[in-house]
Amino acid sequence: MTRMKRGRGMAASWYGIARTATIDRAGAWAELDDGGTAKVVTGVTEIGEGILTVLAQIAADELGIKPQDVTIGDNDTARSPEAAHAGATRQTYMIGNSVALASREAQKALFEQIAEHWDVPFESLRAFDGEIWALDTNLRMSMSDAVATCKKRGVVPVGAASFTAHGTGLDPVDGSGSPWQAYVFGTQVAEVEVDTWTGEVQVLGIWAAHDVGRAINPRGVEGQIEGGVVQGLGQALMEDYQTDKGHAITHGFAKYILPTSLDIPQINCTIVEDPDPKSPLRAKGIGEPALVPTAPAIMNAIYDAIGVRIKSLPATPEKILKALRDHVPGREHIAQAAREARAQAARTNSANA
Amino acid sequence: MSKLKIEAEVNGRKITRETEPHKRLLDFLRDDLNLTGTKEGCGAGECGTCSVFVDGKLVKSCLMPVAKASGARIETIEGLATPGELTPMQRAFHKTGASQCGYCIPGMVMAATSALRENPAADIEEIKERLGGNICRCTGYTKIFEAVEMARSVIAGDLPETVLEEDKVGDSYIGANVRRLDAPAKVSGRLKYAADMKLPDMLQMQVLRSPHAHARILSIDTSEAEAMDGVACVITSDDVPGTDGFGVFVHDQPIMARGKVRHVGEAVAAVAAEDLVTARRALSKIKVEYEELPGLFDPEDALKPGAPVIHDYAPGNVVKHIPVRKGDIDAGFAAADIVLEDDFSTQQVEHAYLEPEAGIAYVDPDDVVVVISPSQNITHHRHMLAEIIAKPINKVRFIMSPVGGGFGGKEDMIYQGMLALAAMKTHRPVQLNFTREESLIASAKRHPSRVHYKMGLKWNGRITAIEFNMLSDGGAYGMSSEGVMRKAAILSCGPYEVDNLKVDTTAVYTNNTPSGAFRTFGGMQAQFATESMMDMAAEALDMDPFEIRRLNMMKIGAKTHTQQTLETASLDRVLDAAETASRWETGAPNVRGAKRGDLNGPDTRKPCTLGARIKAETKSKNDAERVA
Ligand code: FES
Ligand code: FES
Repeated sequence: MTRMKRGRGMAASWYGIARTATIDRAGAWAELDDGGTAKVVTGVTEIGEGILTVLAQIAADELGIKPQDVTIGDNDTARSPEAAHAGATRQTYMIGNSVALASREAQKALFEQIAEHWDVPFESLRAFDGEIWALDTNLRMSMSDAVATCKKRGVVPVGAASFTAHGTGLDPVDGSGSPWQAYVFGTQVAEVEVDTWTGEVQVLGIWAAHDVGRAINPRGVEGQIEGGVVQGLGQALMEDYQTDKGHAITHGFAKYILPTSLDIPQINCTIVEDPDPKSPLRAKGIGEPALVPTAPAIMNAIYDAIGVRIKSLPATPEKILKALRDHVPGREHIAQAAREARAQAARTNSANA
Repeated sequence: MSKLKIEAEVNGRKITRETEPHKRLLDFLRDDLNLTGTKEGCGAGECGTCSVFVDGKLVKSCLMPVAKASGARIETIEGLATPGELTPMQRAFHKTGASQCGYCIPGMVMAATSALRENPAADIEEIKERLGGNICRCTGYTKIFEAVEMARSVIAGDLPETVLEEDKVGDSYIGANVRRLDAPAKVSGRLKYAADMKLPDMLQMQVLRSPHAHARILSIDTSEAEAMDGVACVITSDDVPGTDGFGVFVHDQPIMARGKVRHVGEAVAAVAAEDLVTARRALSKIKVEYEELPGLFDPEDALKPGAPVIHDYAPGNVVKHIPVRKGDIDAGFAAADIVLEDDFSTQQVEHAYLEPEAGIAYVDPDDVVVVISPSQNITHHRHMLAEIIAKPINKVRFIMSPVGGGFGGKEDMIYQGMLALAAMKTHRPVQLNFTREESLIASAKRHPSRVHYKMGLKWNGRITAIEFNMLSDGGAYGMSSEGVMRKAAILSCGPYEVDNLKVDTTAVYTNNTPSGAFRTFGGMQAQFATESMMDMAAEALDMDPFEIRRLNMMKIGAKTHTQQTLETASLDRVLDAAETASRWETGAPNVRGAKRGDLNGPDTRKPCTLGARIKAETKSKNDAERVA
């Protein structure tokens, strides 16, 4: 028997965006500021996922300036509007949309003044990357000049907005309800190599395809997928917080094993964009969903490689070796029955549903 | 205490300092020199966040006594580039998006810099090997590898320096790979996390934690600790002025144990003192008398009649049960050609954010109680703390400091209340920084789960019925258990339209470390079981795993398990995308690994000769002296 055995497995998944089975909400303020810069203030932002940059991109795009010219004021319950919490794959969706709406308000205040100043229809105005212009004219100026003009006319271009996601609670008896207004789906394929002597599993490749609605920053989306995959891999193969009568026996990183650079598969991301019809940005989210299919895809791949199914995570070398020893060949007889039944159905041409 | 004189060269400048001899090089850099780019992720040589150069060699400064560094040439993250500039390595990290929370990043940049100093031509395998002593919990390492390879090629002149610059934008910033705006602060070590902040006149807090899983507190005597020189205050649950209790869904957890302890590591009392050493000493002077109670350590035991009761309000030990019903389960199974039944379980998992919990509280001149911490939910924490300290809500202010990784684990207000109480009692700023061990035993984990699963299918692969029953150990406090059970129930049977189903998810109290919010909030535990069952069904029915999923998948107009009608659904597209990208060879999942033709493509990595984990473990043991 060859020692090293390879196999592949896949798993699909789904996930809801923003808070579950409740109304979710987030607020933001925006101001087009001197020099064609902007201040955007909102309640909660970065926990590492890159949301600050995403919000700056959104504000910049809506206002017609550059992301690096956006200053985000955030994370202070006494100085910024409520945006609730950093979790539930809700930041791009909830806060992103509220920043977009607040920025639109601020831009509208500016555009109204510039339209009058240039004597052009409001609708003809466009702004991008620090410039404002009127369609079908030669009128064009920097956003810096536009803000100065607006202020000379007595108006500070500010906006405020709140964004709502309408989830409903679940019925206490049958659980019926509409917990989210936006869903995402994902699929991952894993390729593994199992050392049948030691029980070690190496994940060599992951192909991760995830719907994110609309990728505001594709590289950031990849970063979320890669991080999620590796956390899923850790849970699949090694991580295990153990207690004995309530006392932790994995009380440091020497005992609690985490994935390191040597455990990392090549991660191949495919971003799928199925725009959300219910929000101005049409983006959804990726933070949590990226992790969901990884562990089952790896377990399915282990099965493909060595014919043992690990149903109890993590698939440690000890478990793999034990499973290999206890292995009883699987479901061949059922598969045979299924083949026969289908062949029979095909012969009699009767519907089999 | 006698002082130790340290003379060294730090980032190109000679320094002479008197310091305490017990200090590690890490403490000396952070506390005495304010070089807080060097982080303490574990204090035990296992994470690499404290990596610096000593005489040109990469070392973990948490393992080196400061005395050993005397006379040495030390280089920290702050010294790699002149202030305001970034090295090509740092710029490459910026360009590729290699920093997420940023907490591991200074150490990672040091290790990466060391790798290229040791071997400017290092290939990817060597780079991985040389980064093996540095943990990153956020990025999945992939963008870090990309950054190091990019920096290597730029430094070697194989790539033009312009690759480090931002990509040109088209006609919209939506969809553009704008470089992370916070990356320069992270790759240079300039960003201050809560543990890096210092306020004038600040006290240090330490927490006395329960050694028992379940015990009644008979008495707490703090008098001796309080009388100690340098101790500013000792607090217990008696100091709570308002309604004690916090939690994401049910407010069942006191700021510090009240009457009894429910898990090992639960806070019982806390000391604020002039310095850390005094605070630690004072802890040993607090006398707590306990009466041990029978403990619950298995969720199944928690449901047995006569089981010990953990919380009086929940005599059956159930935190939350969520039922979902749809269709007629009996009819569904009766219509099935085959029925598969099995059990699945998942373990408790630690978030292992590289930044341990840390925070500062103070009372501002307008009597506002201010808490600075990497809290993932400042809004809710403000509400809860206002009740606990009996203040109007505008007299409580939460500031979210840069979060060095959260993943749900920083949603629970497990220490901010203690900080607030001590600040109110002393009217001085108070800081608490958890050790890694403390973080591990006191913070919530991913819910472990046991799922009993029954799935009925037609020979053609169509699912006719699913029965799904999950039992989860919520541990000692409710935290996010209710929400986790809800999400697990809603997502349970996966992205498939199932006409007949019966789903139950239940979380119970035990005396184990509490379970709480963790990235996917119950979604992965549930779908691990479902996706395993789908493959087992596919094998039994001799179908390709993509095919059986396509046959059952939710489409636009599908009714979800909670009977919501979907207006959009993209599973068809992600299935196609993954199948195409992976060059998937069609076939039933019947152990065909040996016969597959789609393995070992250019989009996979090479296997390591040794088991990767074995290698990583042995390496971290002798990493202190390792030359990278
Ligand atoms: S703090 Fe030194 S290795 Fe973790
Ligand atoms: S970026 Fe590495 S631990 Fe967060």
